[in-house]
Amino acid sequence: MVINSNINNVKTKTIGEIFSKDPKIICRHVDVFYGDKQAIKDVSIDISSREIISFIGPSGCGKSTFLRCLNRMNDTIDTCKVKGTILLDKDDIYDEKIDVVPLRAKIGMVFQKPNPFPKSIYENVAYGPRIHGLSSSKEELDFIVENSLKDSGLWQEVKDRLNSPGTGLSGGQQQRLCIARAIAVSPEIILMDEPCSALDPIATAKIEELINQLGKNYSIVIVTHSMQQAARISQRTAYFHLGELIEVGETKKIFTRPKDKQTEAYISGRIG
Amino acid sequence: MNNNKPKILTANEASMIVESSVIKRRKKDARLKTYGRIAIGLAVSFLIFLFVSIFSKGIPGFFQYYVTLDVYLDRDRLDPKGDLSPESLYNGDARSIVLESLYKVINPKGRKEKKAAKKIISTNADVRISKMVLDDPNILGKTIPITFAVDDDIDSFLRGYIKRETPSSERRINDTVIKFVDKLSAENKISYKFSDYILTGSASRSPEIAGIKGAFIGSLLTLAVCFIIAFPLGVATAVYLEEFAPKNRITEIIEVNINNLAAVPSVVFGILGLAIFIGVFGMPRSIPLLGGMVLALMTLPTIIISSRAAIRAVPPSIKDAAYGIGASKLQTIFHHVLPLAMPGMLTGTIIGMAQALGETAPLLMIGMVAFIVDIPGGVTDPGTVLPVQIFMWADFAERMFIQKTSSAIIVLLVFLIFMNAAAVILRKKLERRW
Amino acid sequence: MNEYSLLIILLLISTLWFYFGNKTALSLKKKQLKLNSLPHYYGIYVALYSFIPALFSYLLILVFDGILFSNLIIEFVPKEILNSPDFNKIIVLAQIDNAVRGIYFGEQPDWVTIASNQMIEWNYHSLILNFFCSISLALGIGYLGFKNINEEFRSRNSVEKIIISLLGLSSIIAILTTIGIVFSVIFESLRFFAIIPASEFLFGLIWNPQFEGAERAGSGQEGLATYGSVPLFVGTFLISLIALCVSVPIGLFSAVYLSEYANKKERSIFKPLLEILAGIPTVVYGFFAALTVAPLMRNGGSLIGLDVASESALAAGFVMGIMIIPFISSLSDDVINAVPQSLRDAGYGLGSTKNEVITNVIIPAALPGIIASIILAVSRAIGETMIVVMAAGLAANLSFNPLDAVTTVTAQIVTILVGDQEFESAKTLSAFALALTLIVITLILNFYALHVVKKYREQYE
Repeated sequence: MVINSNINNVKTKTIGEIFSKDPKIICRHVDVFYGDKQAIKDVSIDISSREIISFIGPSGCGKSTFLRCLNRMNDTIDTCKVKGTILLDKDDIYDEKIDVVPLRAKIGMVFQKPNPFPKSIYENVAYGPRIHGLSSSKEELDFIVENSLKDSGLWQEVKDRLNSPGTGLSGGQQQRLCIARAIAVSPEIILMDEPCSALDPIATAKIEELINQLGKNYSIVIVTHSMQQAARISQRTAYFHLGELIEVGETKKIFTRPKDKQTEAYISGRIG
Repeated sequence: MNNNKPKILTANEASMIVESSVIKRRKKDARLKTYGRIAIGLAVSFLIFLFVSIFSKGIPGFFQYYVTLDVYLDRDRLDPKGDLSPESLYNGDARSIVLESLYKVINPKGRKEKKAAKKIISTNADVRISKMVLDDPNILGKTIPITFAVDDDIDSFLRGYIKRETPSSERRINDTVIKFVDKLSAENKISYKFSDYILTGSASRSPEIAGIKGAFIGSLLTLAVCFIIAFPLGVATAVYLEEFAPKNRITEIIEVNINNLAAVPSVVFGILGLAIFIGVFGMPRSIPLLGGMVLALMTLPTIIISSRAAIRAVPPSIKDAAYGIGASKLQTIFHHVLPLAMPGMLTGTIIGMAQALGETAPLLMIGMVAFIVDIPGGVTDPGTVLPVQIFMWADFAERMFIQKTSSAIIVLLVFLIFMNAAAVILRKKLERRW
Repeated sequence: MNEYSLLIILLLISTLWFYFGNKTALSLKKKQLKLNSLPHYYGIYVALYSFIPALFSYLLILVFDGILFSNLIIEFVPKEILNSPDFNKIIVLAQIDNAVRGIYFGEQPDWVTIASNQMIEWNYHSLILNFFCSISLALGIGYLGFKNINEEFRSRNSVEKIIISLLGLSSIIAILTTIGIVFSVIFESLRFFAIIPASEFLFGLIWNPQFEGAERAGSGQEGLATYGSVPLFVGTFLISLIALCVSVPIGLFSAVYLSEYANKKERSIFKPLLEILAGIPTVVYGFFAALTVAPLMRNGGSLIGLDVASESALAAGFVMGIMIIPFISSLSDDVINAVPQSLRDAGYGLGSTKNEVITNVIIPAALPGIIASIILAVSRAIGETMIVVMAAGLAANLSFNPLDAVTTVTAQIVTILVGDQEFESAKTLSAFALALTLIVITLILNFYALHVVKKYREQYE
């Protein structure tokens, strides 16, 4: 793979620290088009290992679109085109030779609305390991399922009804099931697209706690419309506006001393 | 528990396993995609095969072979009474006049050869002359070239379906006839041109003069009756069920009933027509009125279902707006809901009509299969319809009927394409998006 | 002077009433009286008031005089014809009817002339009666409506009431016909079962109604008609099975390809192309099957040493399979598209290939709908008539061999009922019994399929 030696030599309008010491994902000059419409304009940012970074910004600013670029979920949309470079461990994920299957196994995703398969709880979690061939026996699979459910904090609640349908759980439980399903394939990075927007405050608190826990083992990129949530869980925060990455930096700094006017306006509630 | 205790895979281990499985999984994926392509390819090639097989037979069916003869139109023999009335012409001697002109070209010798020569020209030749004389009596007494359709066997021979090499005993035409046909060809008397009969002729047992006009008009009349009954009844029912009927167990049953009726095989509607319209009400068979009524019953569910869907698709905000300025329920429906729902209703109706146009089985049972030469002049004249005509022709043994059947199918398909295109255009043009 | 002119007269009368009603309302308005409704509602009210009862009496007389007369005219048929074994009421009535219309076929017996003259006279009287009743109703009731008009009268409400009742009436007509279908078939079937025991019909292995009435000497069957419907149902089953073998894989794979793999352009080309298959009239398929496919199969079969009947179940079933491809592909395509995108996202987000998403997520989720589409295709195949009549033949063989000629329920119904027939014979009635079983089967299938689809929709709504 070609490694761009000038990878850290970027001209960008973004304010703040886009680079990190131990980058897992490196994005440079990423543009995204839906047909003729440009949804993302020249975004460059690093995402490092085992960090929790949140993307914030007003709705329609492109934060979810950008998130979906990171595991090529945008491939499913015919009109969507991505330009620029996104490197995962120095491999360009939009290279022709890269297969999305192992890529997505490495970069898991949790969606806005809990979307368990209409199958049992067990089958939901076992689905990923099964299609990827991660277990060679029933015991191994059971073990993976149990561990993933434990990691997602759901085990105590569902261990007695692993065979009941996943759609029968409450919203918060469903979302934790989806997280368990994502971590069952041992990813390195988990993308979360507003994972709590469909949940009540108590369920949200549980998920946030879980995200904090998971941050020790995975890189987590979370899109959220709740600034409090971003402040509570993430180490770094990136502010998007109209398809551009306006400012990136440590969460504390962004929320206390934003350098950009737009960021400040958003955070203080003037743009929404 | 097993001895080698399972452990959680690290991300690296997992990704190695995944990488190693990818090629196999991609192959599987490609295989499913190929299956899908094959399936579509098969379906489309069936369609193409069907169309090619019908058009390759049907296009030549619009053409046929003619023989041109110089005919002396002897006034006394053609019009024995001398009053130019159809009866007089009917009693005239047109047939032998035609044959005599033919004999002049081919010079048959003896009874046997003359008998063979008679087979060349369609039996319809005398009717053609009578018609020409009726149209323009001035031609009487003159010698003019007239083209006549050749007999269907000669036509098939000229097309090469009846082969010269076949032994005479197995051929439908004997060597003498072939000799005469060759002679006519050599004298340039034979021509191949667009058929005078296929579009304007009526049902006939002689394929060379058979045409679809009667069936086509029968189809139009039947469809008209079907539309006049089914459309108002269907729309009124839809309006009532959708807007006025109380929502209770009975309306639910009715709804299920109508849905089920749409799935009842079409033959059953034929049985209903037979049992009720003919058996109980004593209606005559074979008339477009009866056919239209049976088809109306058949299309009614389709129209009701699509009209209800169209009414339901009108946003409640529009109704609320009308109610808000004090319109009554009926005014709201007639002034706002129906005009907006009309494209949807008409589309459903046209689709139902297209089904009715292609329907055969129920009409067979109410006697529209009868052999009717006259072109129906109204809905109470006996008649047939295009699909039934196709069915009847398909059963006839003469080779030429295969082409004529295919031609009739082409006409039917064109008719259907027009109707469906009308539905599509209507939908596109009048469609509103809310 | 005929029925049509009477209808026009009635329309004219109601137009006149509209004019008077409208005019009266306008003159009331001129007198500065505040009217309850717009003036034209008064006109419409009177017009409807006069036209509807008149139309009813008109239609009533038109329909029922025919029934009455055809029963009365039987009196004129000589005893020896009435009592003869091949007396057929329909043919006799048609004979008289033709004479009435002035169509003659050869010599006419005296009684036909007398009966037809009587019929003409009756028809004339009934027409006079119709004129009298309808016109007097149109004038009289119209006048009553006209008298109702005054400044207090709420004409719009009345007009709306009338129109709503008309709407209700038409829905009753539409619904009555549905019930009429079922009852007429049940009624005739019961008459059939009174002659032939139901057990014989349902379990008998030989279908041979041909001998009814006409004993055939030396056929070895002693001229006995038998009504065992098993061969017909086996034939129907066999042909439907062949059709499904063709249409299910092609339809399903097409649906999967179109909804999951194809891009927009491919979809916009192939989806309508497949739907054309559903729009082609069945008689065209029948012609195609009989003249193109059947000879192909026969020749192909003889090449590999198989003896394929010229009218084989295989040819008919194959072509029927082509016909029902779009029923499966369209409905399956719909249900596959109805699977929520979020489930696909979940699958792809985990790194599934398309194949895995389709087989593990989409197909299981869409399965009820897919099953429903297959059931509907089955009910379509069972009810299909023309292809079978034209390509599968009429031989009621009890055979599971797809290369044999078989026949189906629908084909037999058509064969029995085409042409003139008497309603009393077991042969004719057997068609109704066949139709009844056909209706029951398709209704059960359809009901079940709709139920499944409804359940499926609820799951994702």
